[in-house]
Amino acid sequence: MRSTKAIFAKQAKDMSKNPMVLVMFVIFPAVALVMTQIIAKPNDDIPNNMFVTMMSAIFAGMGLITATSAIFAEDIERKSLRFLIIAGVKPQQYLAGTGGFLLLAGTATSAVFALIGDFDIKEALKFLAVMITGTAGSIILGAAIGMLSKNQQAATAFGLPVSVIVGFTPMVAAFDEKIAKAAGIFYTQQINVVVNDFSVSLAKPMLVITANIVVFTGLFVFAYLKNGLKG
Amino acid sequence: MIKMENVVKRFGENTVLSDVSFEAKEGEIFGLLGPSGAGKTTIINILTNQLDSDGGYHETGAKMLDIGLMLDTDGLYIRLSCIENLNIFADIYGIPRKRALEALKSVGLEESAKKAVNALSKGMRQRLALARAIMHEPKVLFLDEPTSGLDPASARGIHKLIQRLCDNGATVFLTTHNMEEAVKLCNYVALLHKGRIIEQGPPAEICKRHNAIKTVLDLEAVFIKLTGVELE
Repeated sequence: MRSTKAIFAKQAKDMSKNPMVLVMFVIFPAVALVMTQIIAKPNDDIPNNMFVTMMSAIFAGMGLITATSAIFAEDIERKSLRFLIIAGVKPQQYLAGTGGFLLLAGTATSAVFALIGDFDIKEALKFLAVMITGTAGSIILGAAIGMLSKNQQAATAFGLPVSVIVGFTPMVAAFDEKIAKAAGIFYTQQINVVVNDFSVSLAKPMLVITANIVVFTGLFVFAYLKNGLKG
Repeated sequence: MIKMENVVKRFGENTVLSDVSFEAKEGEIFGLLGPSGAGKTTIINILTNQLDSDGGYHETGAKMLDIGLMLDTDGLYIRLSCIENLNIFADIYGIPRKRALEALKSVGLEESAKKAVNALSKGMRQRLALARAIMHEPKVLFLDEPTSGLDPASARGIHKLIQRLCDNGATVFLTTHNMEEAVKLCNYVALLHKGRIIEQGPPAEICKRHNAIKTVLDLEAVFIKLTGVELE
């Protein structure tokens, strides 16, 4: 527990000084806020929470995958993990500390989205449920990308196309029904579906998000067995 | 205390260590000498369980938490300050944070405690990495080229610190290609060439054995005589 707490605190302190990662947690709610206030609210033809829906799915897909893969790739590239392991930190403690912090940061950002969207309590709880589950999926996928990359550049090159596909598909799906159907396999599209219409049942979206997490966990295990955390 | 017996390591077809055997006694400074690519770092990686050997026996005689490590790559968190870097490890080891400050003082970095690592010179970073390696008072300390690339004054500072750690009972295992450093610091040295130990013993004895005593012990002459290779 001591090591997990120390890693958690390290990631919090380090992220506060790392604008490249920090921006991922700030830019999407900021854009949602500005667009909601300037475009959506004054315009009756646009749903009030349209930009919250759009930006939260992009954050869950793109922002979190990019941030997580960057953090893992940096720690592996700089060999920092070797020193942690020599100091007795177990890989699962590192993963719990880093993943736990990212999950908390992702949840905080999701809560900000909920405030911007002006959701009532029931809607906010539904929104947070899908966002937190989606955040967990993105963290696992981002960690796998980070471990499969030899350095931060490779993590960006590998992670960007993945996160663009996962993050932007819901936006493209809004314009084409066929794409919307195909995009249904992505957890980000399920977040989009729930936030677009809070009356839908959570059962199917949660099932798809969980299936995504199972696939990402498989990829994570493969990356861990292939490259591990030592770099 | 630190022991290797007939250790073999291969990377694919390439055998990088062949029948490596040596023993470093408790409380001594053991120097592993050899040019770049001889296999020095591989030996440290095997002894610290970062790499598996393909044969033979090895032990460090200490638990992982009683080991201090300084590698050629420092692994420091560059955006965090010196003291923040050490505090993370103080929390992991479960030792009071004042020990982090004491370690910084011992390497002469107390005035830079709040400086971010990416604002430090190479020498300062190496001293910070050494402070991290010694802050939990390890029984065994592995130092991979601890003074490489340092100016003479910084190197002398690190030499003094290594000597002090040894006086306090720590066993120090260091790799270097600086023969002068080895003669000055080490009680016992092993010369490594192409993955084989070609000579070992106290520096004075090795030099005597090979008639390589000038005004100072000349280990470098022994190495060149045995291998025909000059150290860079």
